Amino acid sequence: MLDNVASLGRNVLASVAGAGQAMMMLLRALIGKPQLRKSWPLLMQQMYSVGVLSLVIIVVSGLFIGMVLGLQGYTILVDFGAEQSLGPMVALSLLRELGPVVTALLFAGRAGSALTAEIGLMKATEQLSSLEMMAVDPLRRVIAPRFWAGFYSMPLLALIFSAVGIYGGYLVGVRWLGVDDGAFWSVMQANVEWGQDILNGFIKSLVFAFVVTWIALHKGYHCVPTSVGISRATTSTVVTASLAVLGLDFVLTALMFG
Amino acid sequence: MTSTLADDLVVIDKLNFAHSYGAHQVYQGLSLTIPRGKITAVMGPSGIGKTTLLRLMGGQLKPQQGEIRFAGQNIPALSRSALYEARKRMSMLFQSGALFTDMSVYDNIAFPIREHSNLPEEIIETIVLMKLEAVGLRGARHLMPAQLSGGMARRAALARAIALDPELIMYDEPFAGQDPISMGVIVKLIKSLNTSLGLTSVVVTHDVAEVLTIADKVIIIANKKVVAEGSPAELQASADPLVHQFLAGEADGPVPFHYQAPSFGEEILGVADAGGAHAR
Amino acid sequence: MDSRNTQLAVGFFVIFGILALLFLGLRAANTNFASNGATYTLYAKFDNIGGLKERSPVKVGGVVVGRVTRISLDGDYYEPLVEMTISQEYDEFSDTSSVSILTSGLLGEQYIGLSPGFIDDTVEMLENGDYIHDTKSALVLEDLIGQFLFSQGND
Repeated sequence: MLDNVASLGRNVLASVAGAGQAMMMLLRALIGKPQLRKSWPLLMQQMYSVGVLSLVIIVVSGLFIGMVLGLQGYTILVDFGAEQSLGPMVALSLLRELGPVVTALLFAGRAGSALTAEIGLMKATEQLSSLEMMAVDPLRRVIAPRFWAGFYSMPLLALIFSAVGIYGGYLVGVRWLGVDDGAFWSVMQANVEWGQDILNGFIKSLVFAFVVTWIALHKGYHCVPTSVGISRATTSTVVTASLAVLGLDFVLTALMFG
Repeated sequence: MTSTLADDLVVIDKLNFAHSYGAHQVYQGLSLTIPRGKITAVMGPSGIGKTTLLRLMGGQLKPQQGEIRFAGQNIPALSRSALYEARKRMSMLFQSGALFTDMSVYDNIAFPIREHSNLPEEIIETIVLMKLEAVGLRGARHLMPAQLSGGMARRAALARAIALDPELIMYDEPFAGQDPISMGVIVKLIKSLNTSLGLTSVVVTHDVAEVLTIADKVIIIANKKVVAEGSPAELQASADPLVHQFLAGEADGPVPFHYQAPSFGEEILGVADAGGAHAR
Repeated sequence: MDSRNTQLAVGFFVIFGILALLFLGLRAANTNFASNGATYTLYAKFDNIGGLKERSPVKVGGVVVGRVTRISLDGDYYEPLVEMTISQEYDEFSDTSSVSILTSGLLGEQYIGLSPGFIDDTVEMLENGDYIHDTKSALVLEDLIGQFLFSQGND
C-alpha cells in the first residue's frame, strides 16, 4: 500500500521534472538574440522537411475526409429534406474541428515522430555533444529552427486540409449526389463566419502546433540515447502529442464555442 | 612529480564526481595534470569513466567537488557564455566520429569555421582542403558520412576537430574498432598533428601497445583515482602490480576477473539471503 | 542549388497555405456582413422570443441586414430585451418600423423580421441605441393550439 503511494509520488515527481526540463529546453532555445543570417537557411531546411514533406498526406487525407463528410452528411440530411445544409455541415466540421485536429494528429505521426527520431539519433551518435564541444549551442542550432518550422507549418497545413476537405465535400455532394451548386456555396456562406469559425480554427491549430512540436522536440532531446530509447521516445511522442491534442481540443472548444 | 602551472594546460585538482546524487561515485579525489604541447595518454580498465573525464574537461558534466583548470580558468565555475568561449579553444574527437549525417564531408569540416567566423567562402575552402589534406581525405570531400568506412569517418572527424586550430584536442578511444592499418594511420596522425600544430593532446584509450609508442606521459586511472603516472618507460619499469597487470594485459590480479558477487558456492547452494536479493 | 530548390518548395508551400486561407475566407465564409464594417445598435422588447438566439439574423424582406447580438431580461417585469446590430448601410428606418419573430420554414431557425415603417415629416429615423416599440412575439405552438381549442369551444 505504502509502496504504491511512494511509486505514485515518484511518478508525479518524475513528470514534474520532465515538464520542467521541457520548459527549460524551450526557453533556452528561443530566448536570445536571433542571428537571421545563419538561422534563415536552417529554418527553410526544416520548413521543407517538416512542412512540405507533410503536404501529400495532408492533401490526400483532407480530400478523403471531405468526401466522406459529403457522403455521410448527404445520407443523413436527405431524410429531413435538408440536403442544402450539406455545405455548412461540411465546412463547419472541417473548419472548427477536423481541420485543426486531424492535421495535428497526422502531423504528430508524420513530422513529430520524425523530429523525435532525428534528434534522438543525433544524441545517440554524439552529434549533439559534438556541437556543444564546438561551442555551438545545440538548442539554438538544432531545436530552435525545428520548433519554429513546426509552429509555422502546421497552421498552414490545417488551412490547406480544410480547403481541400471542403472541395472534397463539394465533389461528392454537388458533382456526384446532385446537391444544387449555388445552394451548397450560398448556404455555406450564410453560416460560416470569419471570426467565429475560421479564426477560431486557426487559433486551435496554432496551439496544437506549439504543443505537438514541443513534445516531439522534448522527447527527442531528452531520450535515452540507445536504439530502444529512441524507439520508445518516438512512440511516446505520437501517443503524448495525440492525447494532448485531443484533450486541448476539448478545452479550446469549450472556451470558444461553449 | 612536480610541475609548475606554466607547463600544464589542464590541471585537475581533488575531483569528486557522481552522475547523479547518491549514484555510484565515479571519481573521488582525482588529481592530474596535462602538460602543454605533449601527448598524454589516459588509460584504465573499461567502465572506469575515462570518457566521463573528457566530458568533465569539456564542461558538459559538472563535478560535485574539485577544480578543473583549463589555461587557468576553472571550467565548472564558468558562466555559460564563458564556457562556450573556452570551448572554442578545445575540441574533442568522439568515439563514433559524430559527423553530421546530413552534410557532406566538406561541409562537416567547414561547419565550425562557418559558425565561428565570417570568413569568405574562398578562404574557408582553402582551410578545409588544408585540413583534409592533413588527414589524407582531400579526394573524399564530396562523400556523405554514410559512405565512409569507420577509419575514414574518424579521420574526417579529426579534420573537423582541428578545423579551428584548437589548443587542446581530446581523443575518446580513437583506436576502438579499427583495423590494424587504420589504427596505424591514426597513431601516425595524432603524433604528426601534435608536433606540426603544437597541440596538446589527451588520448583516452585502453589500447596499450599503440598509445605507448606515441605518448609523452601516461596516466593510469583505477578505483576512482590516479594510480600511476609517468613516462611510458617509467611505467613499464614500475613494480606496482596493478600497472603491471594493466600493461601486460593479465586476466586476474588487483583488478579482479569477477564482478563483485557473493561467493559462487553460496549462491549456487541457495543461501536464503541470495534468494531475497534476486526477488528484489 | 539544393538550398534554392528547398526555398522554392517552401515558398510554394506558404503560397498554398495563403491560397487556402483566401479560399476559405472568400468562398466559404460570408465576408459581406460579419464582425467587420460599421454598424449601429437597435433594441426591441418582446413578450416572448421563442427560439431566438444570439447571432440569429435580422432580415428585411428576406435580406440579412444585421444580427441579434444580445438577449437579456429587462425592467421590473423581466421583459425579454433583444439587442440587434444593424449594418450602417441600412440606417434609414423610421421609428414606425416594426419587428416580429418569424420562423424560416417549418422546422427552421427563428429570425427577426424587420418591416420598415412609413416615412413622412412627422416621424423620426431610428438612431443608434433607439428602441423599436412595435413588436410581435414569436408564435408558440402550445398557445396556438390553446387558442384554436378555445375558439372551437365557443361555437
